[in-house]
Amino acid sequence: MRITAQKKEETRRRILDCARKLFSDRGFDPTTTRDIAEAAGIAAGTLFNYFPSKEALAMTIVELALDEGAVAFEDRTRGDETLEEALFAHIAYGLRYLEPHRHYIGDVLDLALSPFAGEAICPQARQFRVNHLETVRELIGSHSPPTTPAPTLITMHLYWTLYLGVLSFWATDESPNREDTLVVLDQSTELFAQFLSSELKNGREVNDVTDVARDS
Amino acid sequence: MSPTSPGIAELIDALPVESDEAAEPGAALHDLLGKLSHKRVPIGRLNRFWVLGTLQAKIAAAYLTWWMRSGYAKADKRQQTLNETHLKAALKLLGGMSYLRGAIMKVGQVIATHPDVAPEQFAEVLGHLHFEAPPMHFSLLREFVRSELGADPEDVFDGFETKAFAAASLGQVHRALLKGTEQRVAIKIQYPNIGRTIRDDFRNMMAFLSPMRLSGDWDNLKEQFDDIRHMLDLETDYEHEAENLGLARSAFTEAEGIVVPRVCPEVSTRRVLTMEYVQGLHLDKFLATDPPQELRDHFGHKICLAVLRLDHSKSLMYADVQPGNFLFMPDGRLGFIDFGCCHHESEDDNDRWAEGERAYLESPDALRQSLARISDLTPKQAADDARMEVLARFSDWAWEPVIHEGPFDFSDADYFRRGAQVYGEALRGRYTRSRPANTWMCKAIFGLRAMLTRLKARVDVGTIYRTERLRGPRYQGG
Repeated sequence: MRITAQKKEETRRRILDCARKLFSDRGFDPTTTRDIAEAAGIAAGTLFNYFPSKEALAMTIVELALDEGAVAFEDRTRGDETLEEALFAHIAYGLRYLEPHRHYIGDVLDLALSPFAGEAICPQARQFRVNHLETVRELIGSHSPPTTPAPTLITMHLYWTLYLGVLSFWATDESPNREDTLVVLDQSTELFAQFLSSELKNGREVNDVTDVARDS
Repeated sequence: MSPTSPGIAELIDALPVESDEAAEPGAALHDLLGKLSHKRVPIGRLNRFWVLGTLQAKIAAAYLTWWMRSGYAKADKRQQTLNETHLKAALKLLGGMSYLRGAIMKVGQVIATHPDVAPEQFAEVLGHLHFEAPPMHFSLLREFVRSELGADPEDVFDGFETKAFAAASLGQVHRALLKGTEQRVAIKIQYPNIGRTIRDDFRNMMAFLSPMRLSGDWDNLKEQFDDIRHMLDLETDYEHEAENLGLARSAFTEAEGIVVPRVCPEVSTRRVLTMEYVQGLHLDKFLATDPPQELRDHFGHKICLAVLRLDHSKSLMYADVQPGNFLFMPDGRLGFIDFGCCHHESEDDNDRWAEGERAYLESPDALRQSLARISDLTPKQAADDARMEVLARFSDWAWEPVIHEGPFDFSDADYFRRGAQVYGEALRGRYTRSRPANTWMCKAIFGLRAMLTRLKARVDVGTIYRTERLRGPRYQGG
């Protein structure tokens, strides 16, 4: 019997819902793909038709949450923000929507987004990085004079490192309402904006930002 | 990501030399990123200590030390030769303080409150810290408000102004309307994590000043810092401030023209304080209008009345009398707007001060005995003539405007200078407080007199005092 696209989408959603619940209840590491498949009412092997790994499944959850954050960010953008503020808001909105997943997501981020994570584990992570850096590049472009060269490779590496640092800090932040994360994020975006500004001033060689994604 | 990719090689090349000690470049990078990914970022003391290592902070520490150690003696002569240096240093210090945001700014404010003690230009520039600290950007503020009030400021209020209209060391203030109303409000919002920041700044400051441990002034200096730290702890608790505002508000009638803003508790927390918006000029701008003497006297009277009313009728010692906390309203009313730094006087405090008042009016001997009791002096300390002479002179100085017949002319800067001199002698002789309440009283006395001196007002302090004391527990029918 042929499975319709609608059916496929329903199954995909069910898998995601079950994974969210199991990750929340048990944590990321103790939950197996078999547990998720069982909860979703499908065969263990069928799950891999939808997601190549547990990490990929978790990264999809992360991406969906961040997509919601991006919509909220766009909705609240005033247009007069500095680059530092825009970057802050972009990341902060993402964290808002990741909040329900915070207590298990640290492991996922470490495994999937670390610069040393193997790509085979999680192609979604690579795509996520490409998309995220593209958004950041657009933000930088929209906050710079038209003739400004694109950010260098080092600039984007620095950004990505700071971003991962913020995510990693946030995942284990025990301060009330995650206020320490706000401070770290503020410091990080300020540092990045200063770096970018000094780099532009020094007139370094231009690299295409998309290489950041490609060079991995 | 491959460890041999051009991006990584480029990144390694860009690393600072001292961070690139490992023989294997890939390992160095791995180590660096590993630390960033897995370790907690030093948001607290370590990071801020590094910031304190800047030139501005060193100048701040050096000047604070200079001021504490020798700022009183032969001030006139020194002032002439160091004026230019002071101004330059103060401007640098301002930049450093604005960045640090926390306790060092507050220390600057404390210095600025005493215009004739700190060098003039130093005080003038530092005085701007009351109003001109750099604000948080709105996106940071929005996240913080959301964490406190449960929703974005745009959703909690109508017409929330994204730019702060006032900023201070512990937070910043925005204007908005209460949701669904025309009620204008001022929302004071703390910087995230400012409480811990203050504690860290103080530890750092003490570390910077540690060479002074060997000097005779160390204990006194440390005591002063501990006291400021205590005040700042209270100031970071807006619920505490809201209670003070409520108490103070109940102390004045509408006809008296002293406006203490009403708190909106439904949109306030420990770190977000929403209150009625009060419009008026701060002291500097008011003075820039070259107000006539009558207007100076009018506001001087109100400031004096406000502070003495709270002290006597509410047992609330308002210890933070400084320009940032008063607004000169166009219709002649006085806005009284910040109540983070108040001391609630105990029955024991009131008893001791009532006794001091009686003793002052009775005889020098009675005063000496009373001062010893007020200060909890040991018999040996009470027998120290030098100490008792300084304390008595300070008492004389504090009482001078009160016993003066008719309006006291605060435009005579010599009066304030004499007080600063005797206070300096007390500090150098380590004759300072033995009870915390005395410190609060001392700050209130100095703060009020500093404000009235800057205002150059003529105020009938005696009449106000005699009227107000009838309202409070210190009167007791005597």
